[in-house]
Amino acid sequence: MKFHDSVCGAALFALAVFIFAYALTIPPMPGQQYGADVFPRLVAIGLGSFSLMLVWRGWKYSPKDTPWAAVAPWARDPHTRGNFIIAFVLTIGYVLLDETVGFIPLGIAILMILFVRQGVPWRKGALIAVIMAVMTQILFGQMLRVPLPRGVLTGWW
Amino acid sequence: MDAILGALNLIADPYVILLICLSSAFGLFVGAMPGLTATMATALLVPVTFFMPPLPAMAVIVTTSCMAIFAGDIPGALLRIPGTPASAAYTNEAYAMTVKGQAETALGAGVVFSAIGGIFGTAVLATSAPLLAEVAIKFSSFEYFWLVCLGLTCAVFIALDDPVKGMIALFIGLGVALIGLENPAGLPRFTFGVTDLMSGIDMIPAMIGMFAIAEALRIVAAATTRLPPARAISGSIFRGQWQLTRKYPVQILRGSTIGTLIGALPGAGADIASWITYATAKRFSKEPEKFGTGHPEGIVESGAANNAAVSGAWIPALVFGIPGDSITAIVIGVLYLKNIIPGPMVFVNQPALVTGIFALFFLANLILIPFGWLAIKSARHILAVPREILMPIVLLFCIVGAFAVTNSPFAIGVMLVFGLIGFLMEEHGFPVAPVILGIILGPMLEQNFVTSMIKSDGSFFGFFNRPIAAFLGVVTLAVWGAMLWRGLRAIRAPQPV
Repeated sequence: MKFHDSVCGAALFALAVFIFAYALTIPPMPGQQYGADVFPRLVAIGLGSFSLMLVWRGWKYSPKDTPWAAVAPWARDPHTRGNFIIAFVLTIGYVLLDETVGFIPLGIAILMILFVRQGVPWRKGALIAVIMAVMTQILFGQMLRVPLPRGVLTGWW
Repeated sequence: MDAILGALNLIADPYVILLICLSSAFGLFVGAMPGLTATMATALLVPVTFFMPPLPAMAVIVTTSCMAIFAGDIPGALLRIPGTPASAAYTNEAYAMTVKGQAETALGAGVVFSAIGGIFGTAVLATSAPLLAEVAIKFSSFEYFWLVCLGLTCAVFIALDDPVKGMIALFIGLGVALIGLENPAGLPRFTFGVTDLMSGIDMIPAMIGMFAIAEALRIVAAATTRLPPARAISGSIFRGQWQLTRKYPVQILRGSTIGTLIGALPGAGADIASWITYATAKRFSKEPEKFGTGHPEGIVESGAANNAAVSGAWIPALVFGIPGDSITAIVIGVLYLKNIIPGPMVFVNQPALVTGIFALFFLANLILIPFGWLAIKSARHILAVPREILMPIVLLFCIVGAFAVTNSPFAIGVMLVFGLIGFLMEEHGFPVAPVILGIILGPMLEQNFVTSMIKSDGSFFGFFNRPIAAFLGVVTLAVWGAMLWRGLRAIRAPQPV
């Protein structure tokens, strides 16, 4: 979804209002005039001012037939939209399941699904997915000692 | 002298040499692959550099970035698709030369003048940075406040076509920097009770998200990922380069100088340097009518400029801790992870590291010629690597890279959120580089602002009491005035939605 500049500006102005309102709740530093609340207020004022400029510019100077919201070309095509959503969902899935399932099975699944979605033949995709996931585990998990979760493979090596 | 010998000793280590060779190959591959940028290459290397001492880590980043910026010329000349944004300015020119049967000359010019520009930029870096550091060591919070303001404004004012969106991006970055305990009172701000947010948003996962995940999502969402086949390069790429050097010495010098200066400006990197110098080459050319028809003059000047900018960007990064471009933004993050705070004290406390970085730049630009030759000769095979296989692997490396920062899945979440923000921002015409600058410089700006206000008892005139602070303040205010004027003019121009 692609939004009109004025819509983007309005949303960012709302964010600026939220930052300013939050800053009002930050207690002052005892004995000091300038504490943790000063900078958020300045950021909110800056963000709010430029957001309003964007709202005004979009409203005043954008072509009249510009829609408030339009679907981006990639999002109109079910295949490319699916690719995007799947890549996103797979990463969220990794965050949620990494401890339980482990890096290697999840890595293979992520690569395999994305390869197949991108048109790679599944046998070739499966082979590359297994090799890449295992190699990444060896490089990062064993050689560089990043504690990639082993999940269901705990105790296998 | 001891520092120079120490640095050379460190670089002569077989481990460092091996890393330089590996990162050369990696940088050339990533740079030559359309869609993968030099910044993405650097971001992907961050988890690998965690486990290295500082100098080898810097060797990997310096070599990769120098190689990747040049390698962007390869698909530009052969397929009319720039490998990195830094090659976009002269892609049509290089491709027109290929169509005329001069691909070897176009690619050879890319290698040779990139190396010359890179060496020029390194010479400026090596001579100016220590001198600037001697001045910077006397800076107080007032000077640093103005310097950060100037850096942030330059990033928006000089680098971007749309200052309004650039400023919004910058304030988003400064807003992100508000999160956590790192503030004058040490109070939790915008943490909403989430423990992982107490230490703030880690800049490395945010950068991997904005520079790598956003790009990976864009390619994954693209309708076609396959590249057309590239022709093989059979002739000598060095034939005719000496003639070009003798014909265009002014262009080489001008491109290298402008490139270094633009690189040294915060936020403006190799891509801006390349566009500006292509324009200056055409503007001052005796044969401007030949531009666009396969004329090497623009390639000579811009090719020198973009690699000079890579070195130039390290000047503010090393001396002031202010990134000159998105690559040095990552470098600053890597140095922080190694408990090295970029700034003038690095020149005092880590002289061998600083000298080592200069030596690495010289070395990387020298070996660019043989490695570049190899990459050009094998371009056909490099470009045949299917991107539909590459992008999912990039996504997996991003996940591992973000995880490695804190060994926590929270960092992967941060990476994903920033990847989505970066993707959406670019979809709506907002630049992402100012966000990263805001995240990096936000704490420095706040700390220096609050400290200065306390020192001056709340009087803003205190910011102009010291001569250098006053000078920087006046320059900053002048840039803000010019920016306001430009903003008011730009506001009248309708922007595409």
